[in-house]
Amino acid sequence: MSRCRILAAACLAACLAPFAAGAESTIKIGFPMPLSGPAAVYGAPVTKGAEMAVQEINAHGGVLGHKLELLERDSKASADEAVRLARELIIKDNVDFLVGTLTSAEAPAVSTIAKENRIVFIAPTSKSVQLTSPKNLHPYLFRLASNTDIEGHSAASIIAGWKEVKRVAIIAPDYAYGRDAVAAFIGYLKKARPDIQIVDQQWPKLGQSDFTPFITAQMGTHPDAIFCDVYGGDFVTFAKQAGPLGYFKAVNNRLVDGGEVGTTDEAQALGADYPYGIWSDAYDPVIWAGDEPPEHKAFIEHLKAFTHEKYGSGWAIMGYSAIVALTDAIKKANSTDSDKVSKSLLGLTFDTPVGKRTFNAKTHETEMGEFWGQMVKGEHYPFAIISNPKYLAVGPFTD
Amino acid sequence: MDVSFLFGQFLGGLTTAMFLFLIASGLSLVFGVMRVLNFAHGSFYMIGAYLAWQAMQWLEPTLHRFWLAALVAALGVALLGAVIERVLLRHLYGREELYQLLFTYALVLILGDAAKAIWGTQQLSVSRPPLLAGGLDILGTTLPTYNLFIMLIGPAIAVAAWLLLTRSNAGRLVRAAALDREMLGALGANVGAIYTGMFVVSSFLAGLAGALVTPIQSIVPGMDVEIIVEAFIVVVIGGLGSFWGTFWGSVIYGQVLSFGILVFPSFSIFSVFALMAVILIVRPWGLFGRPIR
Amino acid sequence: MRLRGPTLAQRVPWTLVVFLAALSVPFLGSRYDVFLATQIAISALFAVSLNLLLGTTGLVSFGHVAYFGIGSYVCGILMKTYGVPFSLALPAAALGSAGFALVVGFFCVRLIKIYFAMLTLAFSQIVWAICFKWNEVTGGDQGLPDVPYPNLDWIAAIPGFDGLRIGGQFYVLALIVVAISLAAMRRIVASPFGRVLTTIRENPERAAFIGVNVRRYELAAFVVAGGFAGIAGALFGIFNRGVFADYVYWPKSAEVMIMTILGGMQYFWGPVVGAATLVLLNQQITSYTQYWPFVLGVILLVLLFVFPGGIVGGIAVGVARLRRRSWRRLGA
Repeated sequence: MSRCRILAAACLAACLAPFAAGAESTIKIGFPMPLSGPAAVYGAPVTKGAEMAVQEINAHGGVLGHKLELLERDSKASADEAVRLARELIIKDNVDFLVGTLTSAEAPAVSTIAKENRIVFIAPTSKSVQLTSPKNLHPYLFRLASNTDIEGHSAASIIAGWKEVKRVAIIAPDYAYGRDAVAAFIGYLKKARPDIQIVDQQWPKLGQSDFTPFITAQMGTHPDAIFCDVYGGDFVTFAKQAGPLGYFKAVNNRLVDGGEVGTTDEAQALGADYPYGIWSDAYDPVIWAGDEPPEHKAFIEHLKAFTHEKYGSGWAIMGYSAIVALTDAIKKANSTDSDKVSKSLLGLTFDTPVGKRTFNAKTHETEMGEFWGQMVKGEHYPFAIISNPKYLAVGPFTD
Repeated sequence: MDVSFLFGQFLGGLTTAMFLFLIASGLSLVFGVMRVLNFAHGSFYMIGAYLAWQAMQWLEPTLHRFWLAALVAALGVALLGAVIERVLLRHLYGREELYQLLFTYALVLILGDAAKAIWGTQQLSVSRPPLLAGGLDILGTTLPTYNLFIMLIGPAIAVAAWLLLTRSNAGRLVRAAALDREMLGALGANVGAIYTGMFVVSSFLAGLAGALVTPIQSIVPGMDVEIIVEAFIVVVIGGLGSFWGTFWGSVIYGQVLSFGILVFPSFSIFSVFALMAVILIVRPWGLFGRPIR
Repeated sequence: MRLRGPTLAQRVPWTLVVFLAALSVPFLGSRYDVFLATQIAISALFAVSLNLLLGTTGLVSFGHVAYFGIGSYVCGILMKTYGVPFSLALPAAALGSAGFALVVGFFCVRLIKIYFAMLTLAFSQIVWAICFKWNEVTGGDQGLPDVPYPNLDWIAAIPGFDGLRIGGQFYVLALIVVAISLAAMRRIVASPFGRVLTTIRENPERAAFIGVNVRRYELAAFVVAGGFAGIAGALFGIFNRGVFADYVYWPKSAEVMIMTILGGMQYFWGPVVGAATLVLLNQQITSYTQYWPFVLGVILLVLLFVFPGGIVGGIAVGVARLRRRSWRRLGA
């Protein structure tokens, strides 16, 4: 029966293993975020933004005399992985707060972990309304991002403005984000333009590598305009396959993408393959058309120096602002206790590079909007930029 | 629903099919001859894509550099395959299939992380070769010339492989090795060399497929694990170890996916899995395979 | 020659000792230790269920994760969506997995060797596609987060157990379920039925010759293994606080296979050792490097080429050698 002895030894090892976690005086923030795969096109710059905020805050002495520490983990845009990481961050690394996750598949899963462990969780980018629906909302969950209702409304208002459009097709990733945004979009569009017909809906998966059959099937229904929610690395693949098939040309570029493909990050990833002329959004247009607020200018300059990149990112603002909001809440609560910080987050107003935002005390959301506009070839930039970006929070888009 | 539209959908399915055939053909060859299900075939495909990208960075931007990059990638992966077969895999031929399966899975783990270490985790992409950047109008639908090229190269490889297997001396030996390895060895043929050759050809095809996919898909970690499932479905539908079965398997896969999306959009990728389930229940050995046991 | 009685080491009821040691984890260890121990216990059950096919019957199932996944989905859906208590959801998960294994096994046992492996893999991918696409029931891509914990009041009611956190209480429940399942499988392997399975592994032709209906026995083993995998899956869904389609993706099948042969598939307890080793190794190595898959791949290569018997196999060989040497010394 010697085998059992090994088993006993293994169990003993399990008991004795990790007592390493020391008693440093840092405030630990767990940060699960997709850093590999198609979603990393957005996840990596969000992380950079968070890193920059941490560096800035620590340079000014930290919070309540403690330095911030960001524990980054690659969630691979998978709900399963995000849950595993979140639990490990809480149980093994003893993080004080969770900030992160990109997709609306990861965020609701991590939210349940935050609730169970009574730890504040700020979701910087997930948009699905299900995340904060009354059934799922709990005291520790806060959303910095916009939501699918706002997105669907904004996109619908753009398409509704095109009088000649009668037939609209939809393509969106088949999970919470795509489904909720599409439901909101259809709801608002039906109200604004009862004469418009939804002729087709395609549901590729997140991380689809071959969109060709989806594209050709959609083109066969002869839409006049398209609402699209394919985003990140997936949109790079999508655009590369759809362009040569004449997909964008067939609708005269009347495609509205609510998945932030208007960010400089997406535009740089696609380069010359970008389908110029489509409409999209970004939390931060980076390249400002009119009077640029000084705090935005300073933010982008600092970001460029921090990342050693020539152009700023349209996503960094979300990681950056999430950390700023959390820090403000810790200061206001004068504590790192999640119960106190979650209370001080209610109704908290904080600065972002594009203006003040407030966590609604009832919905736990900022209900922020985004900058929308048509994507054009920039004069001074080797990639697509939003021409004349308009901030839309409640819509409608008027032009 | 007009005819030109259905034709467009058919062409879309055919593009998908021929791409998959490029990948599945190598998987099928190795399985047919060596009875090894090579999970690392997807990893070879991924390495091919990365190598093509790398070669594109190194080469001068000339008109034909993409083709050179594709060749470099295919040859690079063939070399990798040769080393793996000669140094490691050959020691496992006599062993149970479990060990061979797990060996190829170990390669998946190692190559996947190696690619991450070398090329990072961000998505990479390659532009279409300028020669094939345009599109053709056929019967009212647009067919990108690159897709047409893929549609032609698939059958070309199928015919080349078939000629090689049926008309050449080496091909006869390969077929004999597939039927009875011991007997062939007893007759004095160098079975080891045949296996190595087979594995190298298969790796070459995987590398080539990886390189050729770069202009229309993105290069991203995880593409290895995903593509192997699709290639595997094709091989299972067509019939285990049947080369032409793999060809028709990919054609069927492409069309079922394409028209499945058209008829039941909310099912999308599920249609091919449903097809596989039906075939497994009716003919577990696949459409063109032969029953064993 | 003197007949040797059982040595002191042999007289100790090791299974009981291990069970008690495992039970002490939530009292002596940290939350993270409980976390790891739960993972080990559930993985051990999953790996032993696979070994019923792999080691005992000689069937290379590369789709075992399908039954694990079905178990976790059945249990998760019943408990979360329909509010069914754990005491009913767990048997339902086992039955669901076993039932599906019966259907799949019916087709798979018609083929042999690598073809069998490929067929099981194919069916497991079909299960994945269903879980991934059936949004209304399985939640599709985002899965079913927030599977509730079962009612653990009865554990808290045991004197001494009331101070445990909910995670610790669930661990105790999981440990009891795993221990009962392992005991049941141990009995099955040692039963006449189990001996027929071993005969089939050793020589299927001979088994058929002596009148064994090989296919039917293989199918029975397949169903039993599937059922126990379902129990492991049900526990894991609750432990991981959610059920996701990734559970059913094919690399997970490879993972549990690695656990099994790492421990040693010729031994009943081998997969348990393998599961514990892999979980702890993962925990140690991921704190140094993000390249855990690479390390795992290398471990696997070493295992395949140098120690095909696994850890327990290697130790058994070592112990036998030591014993022979000490015998020789005694004789001298």
